[in-house]
Amino acid sequence: MSAFAKRTVIESDVCIIGSGISAAMVADRLSRTMKGRIVVVEAGDEAPPLGQRYALRERFMEYGENPWPNDHLDGYEMEGPLQSRSMQVGGLAMHWGGVTPRFSPEDFRTRSMFGVGTDWPISYDELDPFYQEAEELMGVAGEQGPAAMDPRAKPFPMAPMPLTYNLGLLKEWTAKAGITMWSQPVAKNSRPYSGRAECCRNDTCSPICPIGAKYSPDFTWSRLRARNRVTLYPRTLVRKLVLHDGSMRIASAQAVQRNVKGAGTPVEFRAKTFVVAAGYVWSSHLLLLSASSRAPAGLGNRSGNVGKYLAGHRNQQAFISLPIKLFPGINGQHSLLSKQFMRSPVGTEYLRHDLRVWESTFDRGPRLKGDDGALMLGDEVMRDWRERTRTGVARVRAYYDVIPDRSSELTLDPARKNAWGDPLPRLAFRDAPASAALREHSVGAIQTLFQTMASAGGGTVIQREEDDARGWQDHPVGGCRMGDDPATSVVDKWGRAHDHENLFVVGAPTCVSASCANGTLTFTALALRTASEIAR
Amino acid sequence: MPLSRRAFLGALAAAMPAAVLIRHAHAAAVDDIAASPRTLQALGEAVLPSELGRAGTLAAVSAFQRWIAGYREHVELVHGYGTSALGTTGPTPATKWAAQLDALDRTARADGARSFAALPLERRREIVRRELTALKADRIGAVGRAPHVALALLSHWYDTPDATNRCYQVKIDKENCRPLATSARRPLPLAQVRT
Repeated sequence: MSAFAKRTVIESDVCIIGSGISAAMVADRLSRTMKGRIVVVEAGDEAPPLGQRYALRERFMEYGENPWPNDHLDGYEMEGPLQSRSMQVGGLAMHWGGVTPRFSPEDFRTRSMFGVGTDWPISYDELDPFYQEAEELMGVAGEQGPAAMDPRAKPFPMAPMPLTYNLGLLKEWTAKAGITMWSQPVAKNSRPYSGRAECCRNDTCSPICPIGAKYSPDFTWSRLRARNRVTLYPRTLVRKLVLHDGSMRIASAQAVQRNVKGAGTPVEFRAKTFVVAAGYVWSSHLLLLSASSRAPAGLGNRSGNVGKYLAGHRNQQAFISLPIKLFPGINGQHSLLSKQFMRSPVGTEYLRHDLRVWESTFDRGPRLKGDDGALMLGDEVMRDWRERTRTGVARVRAYYDVIPDRSSELTLDPARKNAWGDPLPRLAFRDAPASAALREHSVGAIQTLFQTMASAGGGTVIQREEDDARGWQDHPVGGCRMGDDPATSVVDKWGRAHDHENLFVVGAPTCVSASCANGTLTFTALALRTASEIAR
Repeated sequence: MPLSRRAFLGALAAAMPAAVLIRHAHAAAVDDIAASPRTLQALGEAVLPSELGRAGTLAAVSAFQRWIAGYREHVELVHGYGTSALGTTGPTPATKWAAQLDALDRTARADGARSFAALPLERRREIVRRELTALKADRIGAVGRAPHVALALLSHWYDTPDATNRCYQVKIDKENCRPLATSARRPLPLAQVRT
């Protein structure tokens, strides 16, 4: 029976909007630390259960079909580089790669240390216990890197993903270039963990792990729902947050339960505390949609900063041919990681980047035409393939900082509306001028590093690439950045809106910058920290 | 006199709405390829490596036929990152490939042979080379976008774990469930199998 069958007003102590990975962390912690009623509202549908995922994976592998059916809302084609259309119970983390590096201590102090960007209002040390908690909740398998590059107070909850035979050889190669690398931390089980199976190298972690060895938020929701610790309302789109008559507190979330015909049933969620956990796009979008006579620019937006300072990072990537025999396919999504370049040396132009290395099949696949241009069939194809795979190829990638700019923004698009008449967001990413000025230097220095690596192994750079399609910046964050000054930020260091004492924003939108590493673990650590404040 | 494949598809086109026609055309093409597999098998012998042997080639061809039968049109593709645009699978390639198999038989008959399968292996390869050259085919790409059935069959097999294992002559078994603990060692050599 529908959860709405008997009522259209739903009351709770905490109403969480969104059900992605940050929402799951907030709900998990609150369910352990407070007794009140927790309600979660998700615009998308339920994700398919674990038992169906092998079959869905097969369709993906054979035909490229989306393994997450009904994971988006129709009519949400928008202007600008959206990270993903995914909108369902579990959010984008249903098909994430499970890669979980922490940000580095330097990320929180780039202004103080390097004179660029903006310092966060919190330090790495303040976030460390919440990083640890997130790693334990999700189950992170990781290798401790050198302490100076990779500080942490406690060990990883699981032993690292073993380096494959290929990565072992590639690690020896990078050592020749003077680079210290180790096993990338991942939210994948290197042993059975939390009732989920050990990874068995199916190697389709992104977009779908068929056995649940990779953490995804549906596992948290299943557990919390089974224990009646949360009530989750899927297919329910929050359209607007509404203020109390006599104060700047949030009174309700006005939503619509989507039905199959595309219309919807209005639903009102009332709560003491509201947590917007809808990612870097939909969090700012909701606050802007919630404009009223008392908040004409949208909620939380007296500073005019809602939707501003979107941030991400770019990468330089290269494929390097090496005179070593590799066997691609052993566990291809796993990689080596280095944080050796996360601290910009004093007296040089600013550049911070991570470094990763994977096995690769680039330029080592079977081909139809030989070097002479002649078309091959039968044994010729296999013979040619064997000959060319006597040596291996490594994929190397460096994410480098892009310093956020206020004009990198999400705005409401008056020309595009959803089925309920609400304007869709419009996204535009721009580098801060200082960042744009550094770009040529950054690219040049990273390419020089790749060339140095190739030479150290007696290899050759055979392809260079930059990920910059349509102005895209990877692992996007921002839109509700945190800070101590209400004039320059949207939320405080706990994620509480400066303008509304019972409104919190969690995860990606609150980040001040995007570092040069995947952000998901940081989003979840921030979310847990916010949950600790809500329960206090 | 029974309708030829082409005449049957033509009759369907005249009689049905487009969506229904497409579904029927796909099913008809799948049935047709399944009903007379000799041409496809003969194509497999011409384009796949001989080390597969007869049994391996037949298995590869059967797997390809299952792929064709399982194809669905207008199904949402996996999302790309960085864009809100969604994509869907394209029209069935089965009808085109069935027609190309017919064309191989016609070419063989023009050569004086009973069918494509009746031609010597090298002559079959010559015909396939000519077809692929005419289509300006230059790579082994995605199966569903292959411009010719010969290339689709090649693409399908070369994407399998078996193909990778044979290339490297070790047991990698990519994308299969395998113990994590064994990933650190060099993959074991393939067992020598007499073919």
